[in-house]
Amino acid sequence: MFELISTILKYIFIVIIYYFIYGIIRLIYLDISTTSYTGKKISGKYPYLKLINQREKLKFKVDESYVLDGDKTIGRTPKNEIFIQDPFLSGEHAGIAIDHGICYIFDMGSKNGTFVNDEKISKKRHELTNGDAIHLGQLNFLYVESME
Amino acid sequence: MNQNKRVIHILVVMSVLFLSIIGYLSYFELFMKEDIITNNFNKRQTEYARETLRGSIYDRDGEILAASEGEIQNQKRVYPFENLYSQVIGYNSVIYGNSLLESVYNQELIGKNALSSILDIKDQLSGDDKKGNNLLLTIDHDLQKKASELLGDRKGAVVAIDPKTGEILAMVSKPDYDPNSSNLEENWSKLVESQDSPFLPRAIQGIYVPGSTYKIVTSVAAYENGLVKEGYDDQGSVVIDGKFISNFGEKAYGKIDFSKALAVSSNAVFAQTGVDLGFENLKEVALQFGFNKKLPFDLSVKKSSFPYTSMKKTDMAAVGIGQGSLQVTPLHMAMITASLANDGTMMEPYLVKGISTSKGKVIYSKKPSVFLTVTDKSTADQVTGMMIKVVEEGTGTRARISGINVAGKTGTAENELTSSQGDKEHAWFVGFAPAEDPQIAIAVILEYSGSTGGKTAAPIAKEIMEAYLK
Amino acid sequence: MRAMDSIFSNYRPVRMILLFNLLAFTLLFLFEERYDQKILLSGLIVMALIYLSFTIIKWRTWGDEYLFLIVSMLASIGIMMIFRLEVQLGIKQIQWFMGGIVLFFISYIVYQKIRFWDRLTIFYLILSLTLFIITLAFGKKISGATNWVNIGGITLQPSEMIKVIFIFFIASFFKNRGSIKIPNLQIKGKKIKIKDTTVMTLIAYTHMGFLVIQREWGGALLFFLVYFTLLYIFESDLRLLLINAGIAIVGGLLGAKYVYHIQVRISTWLDPWRDISGKGYQITQSLFAIGSGGFFGTGIGLGSPQYIPEAQTDFIFSAICEELGIFGGAAVVLLYFILVYRGMKIAMKVDDTFHKAVALGITIMFGFQTFIIIGGVIKLIPLTGITLPFISYGGSSLTTSFVALGILQAISKNNFEEEEGEI
Repeated sequence: MFELISTILKYIFIVIIYYFIYGIIRLIYLDISTTSYTGKKISGKYPYLKLINQREKLKFKVDESYVLDGDKTIGRTPKNEIFIQDPFLSGEHAGIAIDHGICYIFDMGSKNGTFVNDEKISKKRHELTNGDAIHLGQLNFLYVESME
Repeated sequence: MNQNKRVIHILVVMSVLFLSIIGYLSYFELFMKEDIITNNFNKRQTEYARETLRGSIYDRDGEILAASEGEIQNQKRVYPFENLYSQVIGYNSVIYGNSLLESVYNQELIGKNALSSILDIKDQLSGDDKKGNNLLLTIDHDLQKKASELLGDRKGAVVAIDPKTGEILAMVSKPDYDPNSSNLEENWSKLVESQDSPFLPRAIQGIYVPGSTYKIVTSVAAYENGLVKEGYDDQGSVVIDGKFISNFGEKAYGKIDFSKALAVSSNAVFAQTGVDLGFENLKEVALQFGFNKKLPFDLSVKKSSFPYTSMKKTDMAAVGIGQGSLQVTPLHMAMITASLANDGTMMEPYLVKGISTSKGKVIYSKKPSVFLTVTDKSTADQVTGMMIKVVEEGTGTRARISGINVAGKTGTAENELTSSQGDKEHAWFVGFAPAEDPQIAIAVILEYSGSTGGKTAAPIAKEIMEAYLK
Repeated sequence: MRAMDSIFSNYRPVRMILLFNLLAFTLLFLFEERYDQKILLSGLIVMALIYLSFTIIKWRTWGDEYLFLIVSMLASIGIMMIFRLEVQLGIKQIQWFMGGIVLFFISYIVYQKIRFWDRLTIFYLILSLTLFIITLAFGKKISGATNWVNIGGITLQPSEMIKVIFIFFIASFFKNRGSIKIPNLQIKGKKIKIKDTTVMTLIAYTHMGFLVIQREWGGALLFFLVYFTLLYIFESDLRLLLINAGIAIVGGLLGAKYVYHIQVRISTWLDPWRDISGKGYQITQSLFAIGSGGFFGTGIGLGSPQYIPEAQTDFIFSAICEELGIFGGAAVVLLYFILVYRGMKIAMKVDDTFHKAVALGITIMFGFQTFIIIGGVIKLIPLTGITLPFISYGGSSLTTSFVALGILQAISKNNFEEEEGEI
């Protein structure tokens, strides 16, 4: 009986280890692709979110600014285009949509809520205007519209 | 940044190192492990062997040649035909380990090869006793028995092959021994120390001077190089570079053709042909026929050798008549004969045609495959014609079978003992039948018999071929 | 529900480790009908320890999350194999593992708190030389190498610790280049200027010399590779590199020609079959084990790794290959590879020379150590006794590896700038 269990388990062990390796490599890959994305220079062509917090006080990595050159989601998991490991963020916290040159923000069912100018917003799209203060998790961003 | 660039170099080096580990492991697994894990120092083998009932070995018609009996923990290997297969199957002993097929196919017999371990899961589920796999041989038990009886107590070997497939029909080497464990253990030290080397499977490990049987190879070379003359004048001897080479009994045959020269086994003609061919051609034909090559076979075969890197005329003459430093195994000589029977195509010889599980499911079956193309069909046919004449009217008349055309060649090979002791020649006969549609090719050698191949080896070959074709 | 889902997807690798341990310890519980509750308890401890540590790293955002996960998987495989070989050793290894994790966190915190690591160049030198001398004076000989020291009933292998100290030394040297003042030699009134690199080269070879005296060939090779690689990365003077490569080649050739022990290692590597019951015994038994495993292995508990000498330490990779197959072995190699990749990535992001060199040194050490021992047991290179980091049985090796990992973890956090006011 032991032989049978062990014979079956040997395949399962190998599957587990390789699945683990796959998982790690996938996460590392996502990590790289998000960091390289946020590393993009602000060209002035697109609106962007500017971090107001003092970066050094946060215990996780966050960039000074995030360019909004298309629809984005913000959250704690690597699935998000803007991925910040703030423990107060939900996995998928909020979304940004760009429609005919107008930028909208909406909540994605986050636990701690998304705030624009200290007002909690819903899952409905909320139009952003230049200088709006956005607060989510421990983060405070300033919405800056494009220069053009 | 320059430093980061160099870090990437190091990362590349690391990748190469790690990949080389994985690559080497895969290479090891695919190509090296078979030889390694069958080493006698691998204690796992005896451990596995104790867990399974060793598989049986059958002849081509299902006759049991070796089987294990008793409980798994206390099994006993039984060889019902005692000595008969000792030089093919070998022995399997708790004390002395394995030899020959028992050793080479040990993994299969104890059911531990990669294929069956996957099938094992099903067996484990059904809770069956563990049984090893069975080997199905190409050997024809009746023919093997016949060959062994005909050799009797004489030292030597017989190899019979199906020329079209390469299947070994019979393979006898004498002297032999009883591999049943009680006898083996009792006689072990006597067998090991014996001057007759009973553990030597002469058919595959014994190397002999081919003597006149090699003239069939010389004939192929002569035809291929257009050196066959209309007629020869056989004076009974020739002098090559001052060396005197004579026919058997110094008999002069006068005006003869090439075919007659082979029939009477004229040394005068073939020595001269050897010189005419020269080093390059002699070497080429020998290599064409598989000399200096490792023969593909289930058991390990000694290489036949054509050891010259340059030749004097006397060497060429000697090689032309199969003397000199040429050496050949009986199996190889049978393969050479079979290749002429098979229109110039030498098949890979094999002993194990299939492996089946204890439930009879065949998990491996060998397909015949070509080993070498030694010559073209027309040359093979011409030499076959000459070989028929050898049996009809030449030195090989004792191999004649009524109603069947036999092609053959005798040989009486001088060796290291003939010069000092005299009357110690090896007696050879090689041949196949029926000549038009060959079913069996054979090589017989009686070592140090002191008699001619035509007298002693040919009748053995005849009886075996006749028994097979009946 | 979606939030839950995303939490779990982020935790997938850690769940794999837990699943692996769950199955492994259940199997070990059933093995040889032991049914010993201690085994299940050990399994629970290992799982709890890994999960807890991972959660701390993740939620306190203590730098890179992958390092610890990869290492946990490696350690889990090692613990399973050691347990399978001998339960008593397995339990001990789990104790070392616990100690290792504690040391991992301690070294993380200490490395972060103390800010003057790069100013202790001379201290590292004195410390490692002292340790070497202690080993020589009080060392015990275990399996050919004199590298064990007995302190109050605990046997230690100081050379394991010296590895980390040596890396610190080299790193601080590169950081402080130019500021290190070496007095000029005065010979017959002539002033001879001594270059700082000359001094460092001499010190590095002194380290290797001590290891050679202790007959720790693998250790000496590892030190050289770490030293040479760091030199390659931080030293722009090509001549110095070539000189070092030259010294290594000449030294290696001389060793191969005149040193009996090295000759033996090379000849058994080339043909272990000649003296199969003597000098070639270890490596051939290792090859038998790897060969017997095939692609998928025999299954845990179904092979015969007990025939491999030192199966729980130097030859543990062969035991893994026997029971988990070539696929299992390749997986272990891949795990080390992503560990090395991660380590280098961390090093590349750091700007400070000292931290960069330490991160690289540790990563390179893990990488080369793995290659030297795995390459050795599979007969790719000559065999030199050295442990497989995080997998092999042994307190000194496991705890030192975790200390090194803690340091790497601290560097991965990469927040050294803030207190130095660079931003």
